[in-house]
Amino acid sequence: MTDNTTVIPSPIGESVPRLEGREKVTGTALFADDIQFGAGLLHARIKRSPHPHARILSIKTERVWELPGVKAVVTGEEFPGYMGLYLQDRHIFCRDRVRYVGDPVAGVAAVDEETAQRALDLIDVEYEVLEAVTDPEIGAGPQAPLIHPDLGHYVVADFILPKPGSNISNHFKIRKGDAHSAWAGCAAMVERKYRIPHIQHVPIEPHAVTAQMDGEGKLTLWNSSQSPFAQRNLIAQGLGISQSDIRVIAPYVGGGFGSKAGVSMEALAVAIAMKTRGRPVKLLLTREEEFYTAFVRQALVAHFKMGCDKNGKLLVMENRFYWGGGAYTEYGVNVTRAAGYSSSGPYEVPNVRTDSYCVYTNHPVGGPMRGFGMPEMHAGLEQCIDELALEIGLDPVEFRRINCIKTGSILVTGSKMHPTGLPECIDKVARAINWGAPSAPEGPDKKRGKGISLMWKAPAMPPNAGSSAWVELTEDAKVVVGVGGQDIGQGTFTVAAQMAAAALGVPYDWVRVATPVDTLYSPYEWQTVASRLTWSMGNAIVNAAKDARRQILETVAQAWDEELEKLDIINGVVVSYLSEREIPLKNLVIYGLPKPDGQGWVGGPVIGRGSFMPTYVTGLDPETGQGERAVVHYTTGAQAVEVEVDLVTGRVKVIRGAAAFDVGRAINPELVQAQMEGGFVQGLSSALFEDLMLKDGIPQNPSFVDYRIATSSDIPEDIQAMIVEVPQDDGPWGARGIGEHAMVPTIPAIANAIYDAVGVRMDGPPFTSEKVYLAMLEARVVE
Amino acid sequence: MANHTITLKINGELERLEVASNLTLLSMLRQKLTLTGTKNGCHAGECGACTVLMNGEPVNSCLVLAAECDGADIVTVEGLARDGRLNPVQEAVKDAGGVQCGFCTPGILISAHALLERSPNPSEDEIKDALVGNLCRCTGYVRIIDGIKQAASL
Amino acid sequence: MINVHPGLPSFDYIQPGSLAEASSFLAEHQGEARPFMGGTDIFVRLRDGFGDYKYLVDVKKLDGMGTINFDPAEGLTLGAAVDMNRVIGSEIIQEHYPLLVEAAGRVASYQLRSRATIAGNICNASPAGDTIGACLLLDASLQVHGSRGFRTEPLNSFFLGPGQTKLEPGDILTAIKLPPPPEGLVSRYIKLGRNQASDLAIVGVTAAGYPDRGRPSGYRIRLALASVAPVPMVVEEVESFLSGEEVTEQRIAAAARIAQEACSPISDVRASARYREMMVRNLSQQALLSVWKSLKAA
Repeated sequence: MTDNTTVIPSPIGESVPRLEGREKVTGTALFADDIQFGAGLLHARIKRSPHPHARILSIKTERVWELPGVKAVVTGEEFPGYMGLYLQDRHIFCRDRVRYVGDPVAGVAAVDEETAQRALDLIDVEYEVLEAVTDPEIGAGPQAPLIHPDLGHYVVADFILPKPGSNISNHFKIRKGDAHSAWAGCAAMVERKYRIPHIQHVPIEPHAVTAQMDGEGKLTLWNSSQSPFAQRNLIAQGLGISQSDIRVIAPYVGGGFGSKAGVSMEALAVAIAMKTRGRPVKLLLTREEEFYTAFVRQALVAHFKMGCDKNGKLLVMENRFYWGGGAYTEYGVNVTRAAGYSSSGPYEVPNVRTDSYCVYTNHPVGGPMRGFGMPEMHAGLEQCIDELALEIGLDPVEFRRINCIKTGSILVTGSKMHPTGLPECIDKVARAINWGAPSAPEGPDKKRGKGISLMWKAPAMPPNAGSSAWVELTEDAKVVVGVGGQDIGQGTFTVAAQMAAAALGVPYDWVRVATPVDTLYSPYEWQTVASRLTWSMGNAIVNAAKDARRQILETVAQAWDEELEKLDIINGVVVSYLSEREIPLKNLVIYGLPKPDGQGWVGGPVIGRGSFMPTYVTGLDPETGQGERAVVHYTTGAQAVEVEVDLVTGRVKVIRGAAAFDVGRAINPELVQAQMEGGFVQGLSSALFEDLMLKDGIPQNPSFVDYRIATSSDIPEDIQAMIVEVPQDDGPWGARGIGEHAMVPTIPAIANAIYDAVGVRMDGPPFTSEKVYLAMLEARVVE
Repeated sequence: MANHTITLKINGELERLEVASNLTLLSMLRQKLTLTGTKNGCHAGECGACTVLMNGEPVNSCLVLAAECDGADIVTVEGLARDGRLNPVQEAVKDAGGVQCGFCTPGILISAHALLERSPNPSEDEIKDALVGNLCRCTGYVRIIDGIKQAASL
Repeated sequence: MINVHPGLPSFDYIQPGSLAEASSFLAEHQGEARPFMGGTDIFVRLRDGFGDYKYLVDVKKLDGMGTINFDPAEGLTLGAAVDMNRVIGSEIIQEHYPLLVEAAGRVASYQLRSRATIAGNICNASPAGDTIGACLLLDASLQVHGSRGFRTEPLNSFFLGPGQTKLEPGDILTAIKLPPPPEGLVSRYIKLGRNQASDLAIVGVTAAGYPDRGRPSGYRIRLALASVAPVPMVVEEVESFLSGEEVTEQRIAAAARIAQEACSPISDVRASARYREMMVRNLSQQALLSVWKSLKAA
């Protein structure tokens, strides 16, 4: 599985150009809304709840038929099934209750979007408004109204621990060591509360799906999707049909960041398509709907308490996390768990007590978003670390060097840390930002400061999430690799080709990837999430390539009557180290070779197959969160920033950024750096601007006008992206993931830098000009 | 609702179409001409994914009526390459690694192409200013700007 | 906001052949028809469900709407349909009215500036309009064509309330007229948005001043504010305060506090009233100081 020899074959470690770059710059790359379906295509619109919490008393749809061009109307009445990834808590359409503003109540298909939209106004829904829960800490309490009274009956994964009769859909605990007694030994202590708001992924391409049901009841979806196989699975479960009766075709994805994983709006189109007698139905989300009706990032109210001894060694942490999971937490429950088993941050702490609660609220649905709980958690944790360092009189970088996890450290779950380059990451970013040297601000009314933050994250997934791949060759020895992983911009197809080329022994430009991913023909992939593809899908590709290689070499060995072990494939040519014979791959990979005696043939069409599934993840004790191996691995890293605060307006400008992550092995270094840059800016954006404002459960700013994201004018002068490579024992050539990690430490790095600049502590992002100015006013930094 | 017959140039080719009053230029391109390179990201003039050139100037095609375009000269991303050869901005942004998911790319390329036409040697600030109406969520703009600088230096 | 149309709702697109035809159509269909130029405001509002028009009347290409004319005695006649990018790129306007170029350059994005017009901003009475303060301080007047032909309206009495102007059914704003700028005019526009660029103004401060021997201070210094009142406003008290005595840095600080008292911002999703008020003070201070320093140096 692993190839950690010192010889790294080409093109591993090379920044080869992106496979689909030309398609994307010419506008020929097809996204879900670009596919042509002809005149029969229908357009769907969804009627949504205007209330954050209400009982549905009645739904009257008859009047939609007054409008010419309406072809179908659907409600939840016909769809009793539950759906969910880790916890089955939602229906396709609401049945008796709506739980957030935007919850789908009915769907219409018509000959055009405007007609479908007008039809929605002809649907009458009677509601009985219920009291809404808008704060997770309050929602977790015994007095809060119950959002899911049937929680106790929901099908749930065995590692998720809901509390029926409450709004807590998961309670994850860490009880390591003896936190209670450890405080006595602390020379310094910090206790803080942070509030992290809901934000949204804001992919530039909103969700888009077209669904069609054929005469036999088989469904096809063309979907902007990170998870074609998981969507097939979950929708099949929800409808009570076979997974083999659903086909998901996944064209290019215009940004996902987690929003297009699992099932959010896709099932709506399926349900409607079941009523249109074979006509395909397209459902697009408007940008406004994108902000609050698919997935958002959970909100978090986090309580941290941490203490260290007189030498600055961390002794104890006590954490309480109240995750604002939103109306349905079928996916978000695992964020709670992931944060729990990561709740010490990347530090060795002998005594930890954590309670991580996933709480239902009548807010948009919290789902997977880049970082999966890590940005939200580190936002507060890494500020506390800074405060504790200063409290004990240590430089924040030095404090982190002392306490960060290293190879062999005992982790918060009791597992042992595998080899990690985190200390090297710290050194690199500190040096890059010139830590310790203050910098001159641009003008008299400005102050500059520097901040650092570390991070760690493991792929959060079931213990048995798997990947598979196939490798075929054409007559002219071009290689086609089948994958189930999606390129959502990170460069999946490119590194897939690189890994197949290296493992097989052919030039990179001989390799194609079979796209679009199509569950009918592509091999299974759990989901394109968790920064797991390079590692997991990569292992599967390597296995498939090795399988193909073995078939080829066996054929040649037989044809030449030579030993298999002395044969190799180099640059698309089979060579014998023994006889020095050579034969190019072409033709033999389809037609085989003649027997040595000329009487007959050996070999035949080569088809390599491979799969990978981790087999070593143990469970965690439900009472203590301790276990031998909680996760497959952690990617660690650090970011440092230099900011300038404007004393006149409170505006925070990020001048410079530095990032270093231990990726094990950079299969394509520029693609890795591109993730670090993009993640930094998305992190910066969430630190300075982003806030999905909800008042009594109603979104206040679901548009680009008032939900601001970073523009080209907001980026720093430079971002240094540095790669550290301490190989992962079971990663292809040592590789592990980077996609999410690049966004995790940015909020606290900026918060720590703001403190360094003007001496104010922020209790939660976004650090808008107003928030910073008012904080400075209160601290009397300005008048 | 009245229909209008318009005659206009799109990527150098003359087209005559009948369009409803409320059909946007964006929808006309994508639906009537299957020029799907130009994207819909917000339909409100905020994200720039729908940017095309209209009479040489970048506009948000989601906020232009097709009916307004009688006699207009429109260039979309599909019109940047010539005879299969990528134009310098396409080549440079691609080579610099300024493309990830690719959804913002068509709009970005149009804005960048127009910038270099009016200002062949732009400063970094000018480049950033020209792109402020093109939102990108993947790249952090870093390599896009690098690519444009590369194209400018040719 | 929640019930946004996926696209644009239905309406008829009308292209009148002349100003007379346009005004008479608009008057005849009052309440059902609306003129437009760049569309960047009206299309967004229609999609958001605000306003319901049967007819949208395109007035961009009518007589005189697209021209820029400068006469040293008369001043500037800026056709209403001239888009912001053309304003920014106009050498005439750069030379004689740099404040207008500075303000227009801060609007939104290049794409929006290709379509948006200063006249459109004025007609929408947008309290956040970046260029309106400049027009007010440059003593703009508006050429309007209506059912009874042409007339002139001074800009400083044009706004009646949020989104309300003196325009009547049938009226089309055809040009913005700016008198020749006073000798030695110095100006500054400071915009505070949430991003470094591209946002609308949370607070917008325009300051302009020129030597005026007829005043005790020797200068006439004026201030206009955006986004902190129901309509874009000129703070008259600042002008009289800075006219009355010798201008000093302390008096400028006091003038900034006068501006803070004079404004009446609201709290909304963009900013709180309290922050806006303080930014009026801080940014007025910055803008007035910048103008004052340039005046002294001249």
